[in-house]
Amino acid sequence: MRDTSRPVPFAAAARAVFDLSLEGMVWTLRSLLLALLVWAPAAFAIGYRVYNAGKSAAPPISGPDFYALIVAVYWIRNVLPLAALFYATSLVADEVEGRTLTYLVTRPLTRGSIFAGKFAAYLATTLTLALPAGVLTFFVLQSARGWSAVGPSVGDLFRDLGVMVLTLVAYGAFFALLGVLLKRPVIPGLLFLYGWELMANLPGYLPRFTLTAWLRSLVHHRPAEEGLGGLFQQVLPAGPGLAVLIGASAVFLAGAAWIFSTREYVLEQ
Amino acid sequence: MTRSRLAVLVSMIVVALGVVAGLSALWLNQARAAVGPLPAEALVLPADARFVMGFDVKRFTASPFYARYASERGMQPESLRDLEEKTGLNPARDLDQIVIAGTPDVRRGSPGLALALGRFDLYKIGRTLETEGKVAGHNVDGVSVYVFKGKDGEPGSVALAFLDESALLFGPRSQVEAAVASRTRGEAPLKKNTVLLGLVEKVRPGSTFWMVGDQSLLAGMPTSIPAPGSSGDGATITLPALKSLTVTGDLDPQVSLAITGEAADELAAKNLADVVRGFVALMSLQAQQRPELQRLASAVSVATETNHVLVTARVPYELLDALQARTKTTPAPTK
Repeated sequence: MRDTSRPVPFAAAARAVFDLSLEGMVWTLRSLLLALLVWAPAAFAIGYRVYNAGKSAAPPISGPDFYALIVAVYWIRNVLPLAALFYATSLVADEVEGRTLTYLVTRPLTRGSIFAGKFAAYLATTLTLALPAGVLTFFVLQSARGWSAVGPSVGDLFRDLGVMVLTLVAYGAFFALLGVLLKRPVIPGLLFLYGWELMANLPGYLPRFTLTAWLRSLVHHRPAEEGLGGLFQQVLPAGPGLAVLIGASAVFLAGAAWIFSTREYVLEQ
Repeated sequence: MTRSRLAVLVSMIVVALGVVAGLSALWLNQARAAVGPLPAEALVLPADARFVMGFDVKRFTASPFYARYASERGMQPESLRDLEEKTGLNPARDLDQIVIAGTPDVRRGSPGLALALGRFDLYKIGRTLETEGKVAGHNVDGVSVYVFKGKDGEPGSVALAFLDESALLFGPRSQVEAAVASRTRGEAPLKKNTVLLGLVEKVRPGSTFWMVGDQSLLAGMPTSIPAPGSSGDGATITLPALKSLTVTGDLDPQVSLAITGEAADELAAKNLADVVRGFVALMSLQAQQRPELQRLASAVSVATETNHVLVTARVPYELLDALQARTKTTPAPTK
């Protein structure tokens, strides 16, 4: 018989919240729309192969170059951060808006375990959408030059999948913090993504204050760019990059968990 | 199991299958290659090589580059051209890969020792060479070495040796014989050149061509270049010394180049990158007279990574044609 004077153990509580949140995250309109965005490159990749299958003329962009563009520009710089924005900012906000937060916090669960369960559900949902798309796109496009070209590029597949996970973790942690701090976190989140993060294109030390500069430096793909990005492109060291991203994620998550644990939520009547 | 958990499980199974497929492809690839893109047979190349370069001949001959420029001298490897002229081998049909090692003692103009992999009819080629009287053959450790005769009919300095039905060596006679002897003894001299092999390991396999060079190759490079607009005062720009150079490229569907230079330190890399960016900017400034230079400048990007300078270029063939056409139609200056 459980000691009812104490909250449910952290792991069990987080797991229960994870199961509950997962059901509410995976099969939603939001997930459908983001799945369309995330899987669009895979569809384009299949279309690319089908379209060029019978043609003798070389396509304007090679399969590996197309893959590099999708990973470095489409996923890591745009779609995955957007997925993190729309999911992570609403981890707590959805409960507040749906007025179900009361039921959650009155359970014998610590707020930290609630937050952990919800963040784990966010990660499971977004990784479920993103990673298979990455794997499929890799094999479809890298094999455009024959299966012998796939083997040498497999290192890139593992690296790219790792960076995709790190992108969702880092941005998710930041936007989760934004979500517990602000009442309307989406607009500031968009300003962060398409304002602050543009500092990654500037020279000097400024890119180091962005998440995207570190993430871009972890992948080996460097599509040609014009403008400031092409002029001042710099690749930051990978080792410190990993440390910065993991450290920043830990700090953001800890901050978000602490704020959620200590804040009093007054639901609008 | 809930629907959501099922979806997560299916997704993870797809990823796991992808990882397993990738690992299988990697293992199969490693079973064929020795070091990066370097095949195992190429380890008989000399240990004192200053540079090593490789060509995927199948991709090279299938590329638009070969179709357009094959007949022009200097647009394909000299070794390939010499091999074709001397032996009648058809690169597009008979060769898969060629690896060339350049050593300090090779005379100027010589392409170095080349290893070619492909499919060779040893009897037919040997008969052709002997019947035409182009070669004088002799045996080195059980391997027939054919020395090409010079214009005076005497054995010259270039030789050819078939290691087996899929590999041949071609280049300076002394180096061919040394490589044959190494192979017979089961040695791999190139493995002793840890600097070059370290660079080759980082080359991405699958490129149409690649080249790595160490500091001894780059020692001959100029250390300064005239500064733009410096005709009067002789001002120059000092180039930071490079410790190594790696070039990889593809020729289909456009000419793609990736050049990585290792500088002494991060500051030297930044300085060199700034010099390259300056030249790219100068090209852009000429856009009014030559619009294709603006496009060329846009095709080049320069980045630094600690003490490495990374220059990548993606040049469409239409742009190359435009640059060539301009060069041909520009009238020579009159006195």
